[in-house]
Amino acid sequence: MKQLFILTALLGLFTAAQAQNRFFTKTGKISFDATTSKSPENIDGINKNATCVLDAQTGDIQFSVLMKGFEFDRALMMEHFNENYVESDKFPKTTYKGMIVNNSAINYAKDGSYAAKVKGKLSMHGETKEIETEGTIAVKNGKIMVSATFPARLSDYKIGIPQLVADKVSQTAKISVDCTLDPLTK
Amino acid sequence: MNKKKKNLLLFILAILILSAGTALYTYTEFNRKAADLSKATAAHQVTALELINAFTANETESNAKYLSQVIEISGTLKKTDQDEKGNSILVLGDSASMSSVRCSLDSLHSLQEPLKPGSLVKIKGICTGFLADDLGIGSDVLINRCVPVKP
Repeated sequence: MKQLFILTALLGLFTAAQAQNRFFTKTGKISFDATTSKSPENIDGINKNATCVLDAQTGDIQFSVLMKGFEFDRALMMEHFNENYVESDKFPKTTYKGMIVNNSAINYAKDGSYAAKVKGKLSMHGETKEIETEGTIAVKNGKIMVSATFPARLSDYKIGIPQLVADKVSQTAKISVDCTLDPLTK
Repeated sequence: MNKKKKNLLLFILAILILSAGTALYTYTEFNRKAADLSKATAAHQVTALELINAFTANETESNAKYLSQVIEISGTLKKTDQDEKGNSILVLGDSASMSSVRCSLDSLHSLQEPLKPGSLVKIKGICTGFLADDLGIGSDVLINRCVPVKP
């Protein structure tokens, strides 16, 4: 009887620990900036509905974002982005599947800011490329703030820039990630 | 001679009007904002559950049908998500299921007062697509630039 009790207690402990391993958000912010010095306007957009799931135990981290969910100051830029550049009808979703390389150096149970190194694969516009970058993981009151900025060369993803605007749109977009994750409880 | 001069003047005037029109068109087109959907007519009227089921059953087909379209959705409010910047998202669907229709409200049409979970909501917005549940956090159909529809 006593053994059974211990077993149940252990099991309970195990599932409790399991539940706090994973963190997620559905309102992550992912933005890009492809402005050059010759751009007549800022070429940038933001998506406020990115999903992100982080497994604190293994360091696995995944992002998904719908290309049609990017918002722009100008409607015309949004249309060009969707129709001519990322072809969001054909490729609606962009994902990043990666891993925090130095995961053991991050204490998810203690408030603080940690430098994180992430390695993974970015799939966009039907192409997949390896992306390695540094970012920050901040732990505060049980929430996790994930942020990073990295460059993505458009030609790597077969996103063409029309000749006419070749010097007005950057060949490399700066991608910024800013997500606040909550513990995943079921 | 006089007639020729008159013709020339008319010609110049026509060119001027034309170029002014083009400039005006370019200017307004360049500065055009995303349309406010409060007066837009919906291409499809569905319930939140119908929409989730359609996308779960066949994502490609549903993308072809709904993507970038204005759709009117009615459903039960599960909860309202609010981000740090005050943008609200109405989460519609069956509270027993993890899958939802997530409607991001147009900032021009923010709610006067919070809606109670469990209340019936009718809303229209642009369908931006489907995030299938490959991460264990439920599938979602995302709707952007939403405006509430008055009953």
